[in-house]
Amino acid sequence: MNRSRPPRTAEFDPYRLPPVVETTLGNGLEVVLVEDQRLPLVTARLGFHAGSKFDPKELAGLSESTGALLTEGTRTRTARRIAEEVAAIGGTLKADSSPDALVLGASALADQLPKLLELMADVARNAAFPPREVALRRQNRRQELLAQRSQAEFLAAEKFVEVLFAPHPYSRQDPTLESIERLSRPGLTAFRDRHLAPNNAVLILLGALPERRRTLELIRAWFGDWKRRRVSLAPPAHFPRPKRSITLVHRPGSVQADIRVGRLAVNRAHTDYFPLLVANGILGGSTSSRLFMNIREKKGFAYDAHSALVPLKDSGVASIVTQVRNEVLEAALAGVFAEMRRLGQRGASVRELATVKNYLNGVFVIRLETQDGLASQLAGVKLMGLPLSYLERYGPRVRAVEPERLQAAAAKYFDPKAASIVVVGDADKLAAPLARFGEVAVEAAR
Amino acid sequence: MSNGLRVVVSEDHAAPVVTVYVIYGVGARAEERGRTGFAHLFEHMMFQGSKNARKGMHFKLVEANGGALNGSTHPDFTDYFEVLPSNKLAIGLWLEADRLRGLQVTRANLDNQRDAVKQERRLSFDNRPYAGAIVERWPELAFRNWQSSHSIIGSFEDLDAATVADVRRFFKTHYAPNNAVLVVTGDVRAEEMRRLAETYFGDIPPEPRPPAPDLSEPPQTEPRNDLWRDPLAQVPAVIVGYPGPPRRSSDYYALIMLDIVLTAGESSRFHQRLVKGRRSVIQYEANLGWPFAGPADYKDPGLYGAFLLHKPEFGGGQIVAQVEEEIRAIAREGVPRRELGRARAFLRSSRVRQLQSSRNRAAALGQYELLDGHPDYLNSEIEVFLAVTPEEVRQAARRWLAPERRTVLEIVPDKPKEGNSR
Repeated sequence: MNRSRPPRTAEFDPYRLPPVVETTLGNGLEVVLVEDQRLPLVTARLGFHAGSKFDPKELAGLSESTGALLTEGTRTRTARRIAEEVAAIGGTLKADSSPDALVLGASALADQLPKLLELMADVARNAAFPPREVALRRQNRRQELLAQRSQAEFLAAEKFVEVLFAPHPYSRQDPTLESIERLSRPGLTAFRDRHLAPNNAVLILLGALPERRRTLELIRAWFGDWKRRRVSLAPPAHFPRPKRSITLVHRPGSVQADIRVGRLAVNRAHTDYFPLLVANGILGGSTSSRLFMNIREKKGFAYDAHSALVPLKDSGVASIVTQVRNEVLEAALAGVFAEMRRLGQRGASVRELATVKNYLNGVFVIRLETQDGLASQLAGVKLMGLPLSYLERYGPRVRAVEPERLQAAAAKYFDPKAASIVVVGDADKLAAPLARFGEVAVEAAR
Repeated sequence: MSNGLRVVVSEDHAAPVVTVYVIYGVGARAEERGRTGFAHLFEHMMFQGSKNARKGMHFKLVEANGGALNGSTHPDFTDYFEVLPSNKLAIGLWLEADRLRGLQVTRANLDNQRDAVKQERRLSFDNRPYAGAIVERWPELAFRNWQSSHSIIGSFEDLDAATVADVRRFFKTHYAPNNAVLVVTGDVRAEEMRRLAETYFGDIPPEPRPPAPDLSEPPQTEPRNDLWRDPLAQVPAVIVGYPGPPRRSSDYYALIMLDIVLTAGESSRFHQRLVKGRRSVIQYEANLGWPFAGPADYKDPGLYGAFLLHKPEFGGGQIVAQVEEEIRAIAREGVPRRELGRARAFLRSSRVRQLQSSRNRAAALGQYELLDGHPDYLNSEIEVFLAVTPEEVRQAARRWLAPERRTVLEIVPDKPKEGNSR
């Protein structure tokens, strides 16, 4: 054989969803069932349109705390009893909050499905928010926030969404010390009653399930008599126009500069989404991307230099993330801008395009290998308001992106002139080099 | 294989995905004085080009074929993987074989990766709260043998001292087929893999094996304590550790069950009694092998370690006393059968969850082959865990987590929050 060249291989097949059953209960709860008999395991998601964008302004973090406290006591179970019953079935039960959704995730050994559904239904429907647990949440979340704020990347992410989205609630994805103090049982109960309703939710169940009729019987037994309720609408999708700004968050003693550059982008349903997804892949979405190759491998400015596209339900963020040593801030930022401009002005080569399309499609399938991975994708798609066929159409839509569309998307969404810049680091060292790019607002770290 | 390369294959055809995983029996504990951080710097060099796969090609080729890849450096091994769509298996094999056959080491690539590693150090250690305490001070305090106590990320001075000749020598010494395990998991046929392994790796010659580094550690007979002031931290923390039992001894299994009872999930003792009952601990992590390994890749001499973030109203000493009280309770009274039953359920289900991905399966099989010579333990060890008795758990607490074997590092924020703003 000829070792000097990589072996020839066949094209890989497009992704096919395993057989899926979709149905809706009388109370409006959407149900998605997926069979996967490989392992004696079941995985579930109960997702609500109840993310941090629904938090009242003065109560930032309410969705997150509601999620955390769901499993800390119900009308009939103490926190300890919930923990012990979950452990006894080899289970997990934990809610997570994102800007758009609050998702209760769960899993258990397959023969324990009835008990798992019982526990999920109890915490979703009957959470009691015991005062003692609420008080402990206030204490611990305060300390956790202090610990998070001692990390430069947290400060950068926090400031970045604020700069991009204010005054829309997408600008407040984390609590503040003040909002944590205001966390109360009435507030939590009100959030639950406004948002955690069957007609505002989707239940995903996958794994080694019993036969379909039996599975649906179990679901109806625990969720069927859950009453439909009026739920609050999402805040209007009004966002500020992207414009150049530079914000320097002063973190004395930082040995490097944490950099975010970017602007508002689009959600997954927007026609620009797939061209932008491919553009992002070429700019900085992988280890063979231009940012990785030039900022890290060629110049050695950074360990991490990447770009990211974060789709939200009503918007999205396209950004470049890197951390560089103080002395090279100016050169690194100029290098990042040059790469952004180059993609918008000159587009990508045929070869780059083929590489990134294969990469996006390959890693997409790899992410669906585990029950957790597939469950998260299914929940994400449903909560974004997309059809499940999105998962099968993803590959062909990536393949269909034309070079001109990609270049146009890059020119628009990776335009340095429309990009907000947030840098976290020592202002004594960074303010001067940063000022070469425009007017700098220096702020104290929180 | 005849050149000493061990090959492990595990089939699973449910998803069209395959993992190629290569693990080498050399890690940071094999480094020499004056060359701290070298194993990790070398790992970076493995992506800088080999005879036919030139610089940048490794990343490009895997990604152009729809795959993901990475490498990581551990105290006792270094590993590399490619996860690929299954009909791209040959790409992963070609790349791994090409770099095992010979690296292209240049001064320019070394300088560039030295910069990347220094930048990684700034990012992940020097600019991150607790990291200095965990990575630099903790090993130094807990171990007496330099092989275990030195920094895994390395000093800037030592990284600067590394030469192209060092890289070539390290490669020649440690990156040989007879010091490696190749694992392929997922959508692959074992028979076909046997042929492919021969084709790609069969003619790579073995090298003489150097003696294993002397890792022997003097027994610890009295507690050790230190205090670390962390200018980046805002919340105090404490690290507690104890030298652990030999890998695969009966106490190894018992201590892992004890750890589950103490620390795993919200029904655990630490959560129920320290986070909830005393409201002193905010968050914690604990493991046999913490911070660089877990139970599966733990190798003695090593530690059972716990990192606890706690409320500022409590001193580090109080937290340690509370931890010891929980250990003492088990050493005295053992664990109720029901509680051990929950630990067993946790173990069974977390095992099933962990083995879902071909990459995790490959890593576990490779590590078990390298460290135990028994990849099949992945199937059979669960029975050993489930057979651990309450009395064995009690004895493990008494014997291995005794106060005189304890090491404690208290981490206190170095300055008040107000000092951070201007």
